[in-house]
Amino acid sequence: MASKHTIATRHAQGIRARFASRFLRSLLRVRRSSNRFGGSQSNDEGIGKRIRTDRIKIAAYAAMARAVGPRRTWSRALLFKLRNRARIHGVSRKRCLVSEKKRVTRNKVVAISREPSRADTLRKLVPGGDSMDTCVLLEETAHYIKCLATQVTVMQSIADRLLL
Amino acid sequence: MINRALLPAGGGENMLHCTDMTVLERQRARNKWQQEQQQQFQLQQQEISYFTELVDVFHQAGFHEGGLSEVVTRSVKPDPGLVDNGWNNDRVVGYGVGLPYNNGLGFELNYGAISRTSSCPPEADAAVAAATVKGSESVVSDKISSGAGRESSKKRKVDKIQNNSKVVAEEDTRDKRIKGCAEQGESKITEKNNNKNSRNNNTNKNNNSNKENSDETSKDNSKVSEVQKPDYIHVRARRGQATDSHSLAERVRREKISERMKYLQDLVPGCDKITGKAGMLDEIINYVQSLQRQVEFLSMKVAAANPRLDFNVDNLFAKEAFPACSINFPTIGMSSDMTNPAYLQFNPAQQQLVACCGLDMGIDPPDMALKRTTSAPVSIPETFLDPSCFTQTHPPPTWDADLQNLYNVAFDQGRQTSFQTQPFTGSIEASNLKMEM
Repeated sequence: MASKHTIATRHAQGIRARFASRFLRSLLRVRRSSNRFGGSQSNDEGIGKRIRTDRIKIAAYAAMARAVGPRRTWSRALLFKLRNRARIHGVSRKRCLVSEKKRVTRNKVVAISREPSRADTLRKLVPGGDSMDTCVLLEETAHYIKCLATQVTVMQSIADRLLL
Repeated sequence: MINRALLPAGGGENMLHCTDMTVLERQRARNKWQQEQQQQFQLQQQEISYFTELVDVFHQAGFHEGGLSEVVTRSVKPDPGLVDNGWNNDRVVGYGVGLPYNNGLGFELNYGAISRTSSCPPEADAAVAAATVKGSESVVSDKISSGAGRESSKKRKVDKIQNNSKVVAEEDTRDKRIKGCAEQGESKITEKNNNKNSRNNNTNKNNNSNKENSDETSKDNSKVSEVQKPDYIHVRARRGQATDSHSLAERVRREKISERMKYLQDLVPGCDKITGKAGMLDEIINYVQSLQRQVEFLSMKVAAANPRLDFNVDNLFAKEAFPACSINFPTIGMSSDMTNPAYLQFNPAQQQLVACCGLDMGIDPPDMALKRTTSAPVSIPETFLDPSCFTQTHPPPTWDADLQNLYNVAFDQGRQTSFQTQPFTGSIEASNLKMEM
C-alpha cells in the first residue's frame, strides 16, 4: 500500500497535521489543569479519569473543529456549542439551548408530526444537523465522517505512542 | 408560463426564445460536429427536400410529430444538455433574433450537420422546413416549445447557474453522452431534452439546472424513447407536466440526494452491496456512531496514558508520522452493534479501508477499536471542563515552533524522525517539568 503521504492530498494531510498539533497542545493543557487541581490523585481516581476523559474528548472535538475552520456548518455548530459550554457551564448552555431551539423550531415543527426518521437520527449525530435540509445534511455528513476518521487515526497513534 | 405560449400557434416571443436557444445551440453544435457534416451532407440534401414536402403537411396539427419524428430520427444528435450547459443566459438574452434569421440559420446549420445536437435537431429540421416554406409555423412552434423551454429555463437559472464543478461535470457527462449517442440518431434524447427543458421552465428552484438536464437525460432516456412520439406530439401534455413545478423540483432534489448518497457510499466502508437510501442511511448512522464511540474510547485511553505524557512526549512528537497502527486495545467490552458483520472487515486489514475511504483521506482506517469500543457512560456533564482548555494558554514560545517544525518534517517524511527530537527534547522536558510542578 502506498504510504500515507502519497495517498493523502495536501488537504487531508493539512487537516491531519493541524488537528494533531492542536490536539497535542490541548492535551498538554488538560494534563496541566488536571495536575493543578488534584495533583497526582486525579490521575488515579475513577472520577478524575472520567473528567479527564471528557476533557480530552472535548479537546479532540475542539481541535478538529478549529482545524476545519468555519468553512463547514458542522464545525461552526460544534465550535459554537463548545464555546458556550466552556464559557458558562450551566447557565449559558440553557440559554443557548433555548436559542438553538428557536433557531431550529421551524424545521422541527414539521418533523414533530412524523416519527423520527433516519435523517433525524443523523441530524442528532452530526453537530448542527438540525438546521439543515436533507441534501445539505448528507454533504455535511460526508465531510464530518472524513474528519472523524482522521481524528480517530490521530488519536490512535497518539495513544499508541503514549502507551509504549 | 412559457409552455402555455408554446402552443402550436406560436407567438413571436416564443419564436424569439426559440431562436435564441437554437442559434446558440447550433453554434455549439457546429463547432463540435463538423465532421458529421461531411458525413451527412448527402443525407441532409435528402432531408431538406423531404422536409419541403412535409412542411405543408406540418401545418396540420396531427402531422407534425410524424414528420418531425422521422426527421428527428435522422438527425443524429444528442444532448441539448451539452449545449445548455455551457451557456450563460446573458448570451441567450443577447440574441433576440427574429424568426427568419433563425430559420435561415437553422437551415444552414442543418446543412452542416443534422446529427448536431441536442434540442436542436427537431428544431433544426423544423427550421429548415420553415426556411424553405415559411409558413410552417406549426413546425416552428414545436421547435419553439422545446427551445423556448430550454431557453427560459436557462434564463431563469442565470443567477443560479454558477455551479462551477457541477457545470464542468455536466459538460463532461454531456460530452460523453453526445459522443456515445452520436451515431445512433437518438432524437429521443433531443426530444427528451426538449421536454425536460420545457418542464424546467417552471422550476425556479433549480440550482443545478444543467446538471439536472444531463441527469434527466440519462435517466429518462428509456422512458422517453419508448414514448417518443407521444411526448413529442402532445405539446399540451408536456405543458401540463411542466406546470407541475413541484415534480420537477422534487426530481432535482432527488437527484442531488442520490448523488450525495453515492459519495457517502464510497466513504463508508462496507456499503458496496447496499442499495437504497434507507439501508445506506442506516449504515451511515452506524458508522458515525461507531466513529464517535471510537473517539471516546481513545480519549479514555489517552487519559489513562496521560500520566506518562511527559515521558513519551519526544517519542510522541517524533512519531507523528502515523505508521500503520498495530494496536492492541484491551478488550473492555463490545457493544451490541459492534457485532455487525459489516464492520468485521475493519479488523485485520487497514489497507482495505484506505482504499475504500479513498477520497483524500490517506489515513489509516479505524480498525481494531471498532470491535472493542465500549459503551462507556458518557453521562458525566461537562461542567468540569476547565475553560483554560480553550483559552490560549501560554505554552513556551519555543514549543509551538518546535511542534510545527516537527510535524512538518514528520508528516512530509512519513517516518520516524527521532534524531530530530534531540534538540527539542531538552526544551520539552524542561517545560514538562515546569508544568508538573
